[in-house]
Amino acid sequence: MKRGIVAACAVAAALVAGCTAQDDGEVRIVFAAGNDPSGATAALVEEYNASHEGVTVSFQPMPVNTDTQHDAYVTYLSARDATIDLYSLDVIWTAEFARAGWIVPLPPGFLAADDFLDGPLGSVTYEGTVYAVPWFTDAGVLYYRRDLLEEAGVPVPETWDEIREAYEKIAAPRDMEGFVWQGARYEGLICDFLEFLWGLGGSIDGAVVAADPALAEREIAQAIELVLGFFDDGVSPESVLTYKEEGSLRLFTESHALFLRNWPYAWSMAEGEESKVKGLVGIAPLPHAAGETGYSTIGGWNVALSSHSTHPDEALEFLAFITSERALKLRAIEGAYLPTRKSTYEDPEVLAANPHFESFFEVFRYTRNRPRSPHYPQISDIIQVNVHEALSRQKSPEEAASAIVEDLAEFSFE
Amino acid sequence: MNRRQETRLAAWLVAPSLVFVAVLGAFPVLSQFVLSLTEFNLKFTDERSFVGLANFAKLLRDDVFWRDLGQTFQFTVVSVGLELLLGLAVALLLNRIGRGRAATNASVIMPWALPTVVAATMWSLILNDRIGLVNSVLERIGLAREPIVWLGPKLAMTSVILADVWKTTPFVAIILLAGLKSIPRHYYEAAELDGAGRWGTFRAITLPLLKPFIAVAVLFRAMDAFRIFDLIWVLTGGASKTETVSVYIYRVLFRYSDLGYGSAMTVALFAIVFGMSLALIRFMRIADDAR
Repeated sequence: MKRGIVAACAVAAALVAGCTAQDDGEVRIVFAAGNDPSGATAALVEEYNASHEGVTVSFQPMPVNTDTQHDAYVTYLSARDATIDLYSLDVIWTAEFARAGWIVPLPPGFLAADDFLDGPLGSVTYEGTVYAVPWFTDAGVLYYRRDLLEEAGVPVPETWDEIREAYEKIAAPRDMEGFVWQGARYEGLICDFLEFLWGLGGSIDGAVVAADPALAEREIAQAIELVLGFFDDGVSPESVLTYKEEGSLRLFTESHALFLRNWPYAWSMAEGEESKVKGLVGIAPLPHAAGETGYSTIGGWNVALSSHSTHPDEALEFLAFITSERALKLRAIEGAYLPTRKSTYEDPEVLAANPHFESFFEVFRYTRNRPRSPHYPQISDIIQVNVHEALSRQKSPEEAASAIVEDLAEFSFE
Repeated sequence: MNRRQETRLAAWLVAPSLVFVAVLGAFPVLSQFVLSLTEFNLKFTDERSFVGLANFAKLLRDDVFWRDLGQTFQFTVVSVGLELLLGLAVALLLNRIGRGRAATNASVIMPWALPTVVAATMWSLILNDRIGLVNSVLERIGLAREPIVWLGPKLAMTSVILADVWKTTPFVAIILLAGLKSIPRHYYEAAELDGAGRWGTFRAITLPLLKPFIAVAVLFRAMDAFRIFDLIWVLTGGASKTETVSVYIYRVLFRYSDLGYGSAMTVALFAIVFGMSLALIRFMRIADDAR
């Protein structure tokens, strides 16, 4: 409820601000996105304004918390607020915002698809139409203790069996945890669970679930059983069911865990001054079942044009600039935001500032999107609730899997 | 001024408050009720339609709602019960303190003064199984060998209730302390002269005279506890059988932007809290009359 009030106040403030703007022929564009503490975005906006006569872009920083941003945007857009022209949207929101008519399709040819990474590219369309441009990306990564693996002569694990062996050989004797990840009941659980499911060769795509629900059920149940097996053998502690990103990362940086699944941002934390494992960490693609491929869940943000924008042409011009090679490069160097354009990963300046980007690029070759649907929040909750109940043994894997498939049947998704 | 004039003046004087109540109280409740009769999702405004009581029919069949309602009752009864017992004990103690009263009262009320989100975040750190204070103390004094997962499936509800008791016991204590202060000294002196023991004095004087205050504290706490949102949202997000009706309403209204069904749930919650309050007030009156 409080968030609603905050959002309402923000709308009121925006309306007041809108009324006081003078009419001096200047076109004003507002770009709303999560706050950028590095200052790179603000610097880019300033640069743009200096070189564009008659157009003033302002950057409206939003709270970094994803749900807070979502609720604020839904409030603005459903009230047809026209003060914000461009929105930075989480990859899972495209279908929702497009279906609601809050964002407009981009002109044909606006997005040069060949330049972008496949994962982020998969998140900008709804029913075959392009609605946004990928801005920066994120994907699940395996962090490991390089020092301990080397000391024991164990190669970097590629399969879950190898994770288990490494745990038994290295972590268990030291009283360390093996593999920690994000298992609390929130959006992060979806990301981690899909990675387990995909790594077994399963999927939860709309077409697959519709065509063969029994198969989808079996695969989901198998993924749940896999994780329960980790709990039984001690590979993962059951306390991961209460962890979000910070909790799991803390275990790793305090040297209590051998492997960590987290997002790329965790790198700078693991290599930070306060970390007990600074200089001892390696990055690898996520593990999978023997004979299968590991896929990482795509996160990250796109930029889209509001359907209430009063200056769509000028807004689109800025959209092209803020997602340009140059902008992505500066944000990568200053703020370590992972670029969505492939070429940026070959840029020597970018790699000099972020040598670890090379390993991330490797991971980004195998990424997938979460289900795409205007009903995504419901779909996410259905999976979250059932998987969490099964993993905390309030339900059997089969019960949870059939509940998921049955409940998902109500919604259309890709 | 004759009687008619007086009545008219009174009407004018009351009018502003009535307008206030209508705009701030009745209007939102009514508009919520109107919304609850429609199918209305912010994302699918083209599908907006009047559906009568269909949302309420759906509510009756919604297992999640009923499960959450049960959990909300459980949370309310246990936490308010504990808060009442502890609050009474604290109030009795505070009432006996002579020197340093201001400082003691202030320190007791601290938890209540903290914003709930801050307190909840603090508890999530304290209860963390690895780096939390509780487990490290328990391990040091040898009470726990394995770290206890306080916010995990088995203990989540207990932990949430403990955090709530910590936070709101001061509120109950302060109300009851005010009640204790209002009891005239000479009742106790008379009881002492009659040779009543401590327990007898407590049962015959303190408790009956404190009853209205207890009722007020319980009424306020029960209404608050029944609508609990922030504490649970921060500590568990509603996982591990701790989801309350308010958390479910948040999901439907804000995450799904489903104003129709969400409003129906809000109306139901309103009706339940309203009915509960009426029952408590009535109970309070009966207690009053019995005196």
